[in-house]
Amino acid sequence: MTSQDVEGLLHRLAPRALGTVVRRFGNFDTAEDAVQEALIAAAEQWPRDGVPDNPLAWLITVGSRRLTDLLRREQARRRREDTVASWRLSDDWCSPPADRPADADDTLILLLLCCHPALSPASQIALTLRAVGGLTTAEIARAFLVPEATMTRRISRAKQTIGNSGVPFRMPPRSEQAQRLAVVLRVLYLIFNEGYASTSGPHLYRADLSAEAIRLTRLLHQMLPDDGETTGLLALMLLTDARRPARTGPDGTLIPMDEQDRTRWNAGYITEGVSLISAALPCGTTGPYQLQAAIAAVHDEAPSADATDWPQIMALYEVLMQTSDNPVVALNHAVAVAMVRGPHTGLGLVEQLATDGRIGQDHRLFAVRAHLLEMTGDHAAARQAYHAAAQRTTSQPQQRYLYTQAARLPDPR
Amino acid sequence: MKYMIMLYASQRDYDQMAGKPSDQPEWKPEAVAEMHEFMGRWNQELIDSGEFVDAQGLAAPVHTRRIHGLDGGVPVVTDGPYPETQEVLAGYTIVECPSFDRATEIAARITTAPSPGESSSPRYVEVRPIDGGSDDFTG
Repeated sequence: MTSQDVEGLLHRLAPRALGTVVRRFGNFDTAEDAVQEALIAAAEQWPRDGVPDNPLAWLITVGSRRLTDLLRREQARRRREDTVASWRLSDDWCSPPADRPADADDTLILLLLCCHPALSPASQIALTLRAVGGLTTAEIARAFLVPEATMTRRISRAKQTIGNSGVPFRMPPRSEQAQRLAVVLRVLYLIFNEGYASTSGPHLYRADLSAEAIRLTRLLHQMLPDDGETTGLLALMLLTDARRPARTGPDGTLIPMDEQDRTRWNAGYITEGVSLISAALPCGTTGPYQLQAAIAAVHDEAPSADATDWPQIMALYEVLMQTSDNPVVALNHAVAVAMVRGPHTGLGLVEQLATDGRIGQDHRLFAVRAHLLEMTGDHAAARQAYHAAAQRTTSQPQQRYLYTQAARLPDPR
Repeated sequence: MKYMIMLYASQRDYDQMAGKPSDQPEWKPEAVAEMHEFMGRWNQELIDSGEFVDAQGLAAPVHTRRIHGLDGGVPVVTDGPYPETQEVLAGYTIVECPSFDRATEIAARITTAPSPGESSSPRYVEVRPIDGGSDDFTG
């Protein structure tokens, strides 16, 4: 096995090993450190000495042994501090009951724990990537462009918060589950976006984050195949990521969807995403991830930009607008309306949105206005709007794109 | 010891890089890509050598807000207070290395970054030691 294969194997085994160790010994905080050390040891030894017959059992044994050491040391320290009265071993030291659930449940409980509502989104993301994704602190720090020391502090604070909250290692009560799952989905969505939407920083690592988000969402989908929003989120990620190869030119410039070379889209992801969303949509209530996935599917299935089924996209945005009051969704809806009913109708909707304080001064509104003005043939006004949009964004690739759009139009002077 | 390496640019430099039409020559996409690649390599070498601490690029000077105290509890703000050609802080990289000379060596390499126009090249960078006395307490 190459070290890359070993790395993949370790990322898959990490949450199961951690789940088992925490279930057996409690002490999530210390157990997480112990399992991380076992993973690092395995990453060093396995490529050299070969993978043990039962790699999961190896990780659990080494992790448990390390945890025992760490707990003993902590216990000794506390004894020295004469606080032994307040210290007792976790109740979970006793052997697990015979009816203990399978490993898959451990992974789900871990995910819910890492996305605990008491943590900030940044901490939820970091802890999820480490405890469930099996990434090292250094890898996570690199992906988020922060110093390793900062990430180490963020993760240990997050673990302390969870330790102090006293949440037991088991599924939250049924009444809380939907709400807790929603947080997990949002964290996975944020990880994906961090990798996909960013146009700065070392590109390789950012793309890895999207791949990691897809892997974790796939894992969640395997555990909860009947949850429509989990399926929807996985489909949305696949259908969005499918366009990645065509999204930027060789020199890093942004290429808008209608100008992308569709032969470069990832056909395998599109097929998988479309079949996931087609299976999920008819079942139960349709949430925002499913709707966004459905919109992405309509785009991805169009053989060319001109062949896009805009009436369907417009209808899907109308349903999406009913689920939440989001001005960005409304702006996208205005574009769809313009494609179906003409640019003047779309511009009318844009002008209504311009009075909305949340988006009225946003570069995206100006960019849409510019695009629709261009469609009406008012090139002077379109140029002006493209320039206004460029001045409002702080992203250089976007600025370059917008100035280039303006420069294509005939100069009114 | 930690050092902050500071890069400077004017609004006009930002505009040229963003491709804004003006009487100055604008940057071609290839030139921007080449510069990003250079900076990426420079940064990666610091990460690999363990000297990298933090780096951030700042948005164009036009997005600056200068706050002149409070007036009846409301901040008194001037937007984008810089003339077109005034050079202001554009970004920084914090490195941790044994000596001022090493920090100078790292900083000097950035002045060789490729740039198309004369005016856009970083003619200078500045390095200042960070007074890290409180580091021991926050760690």
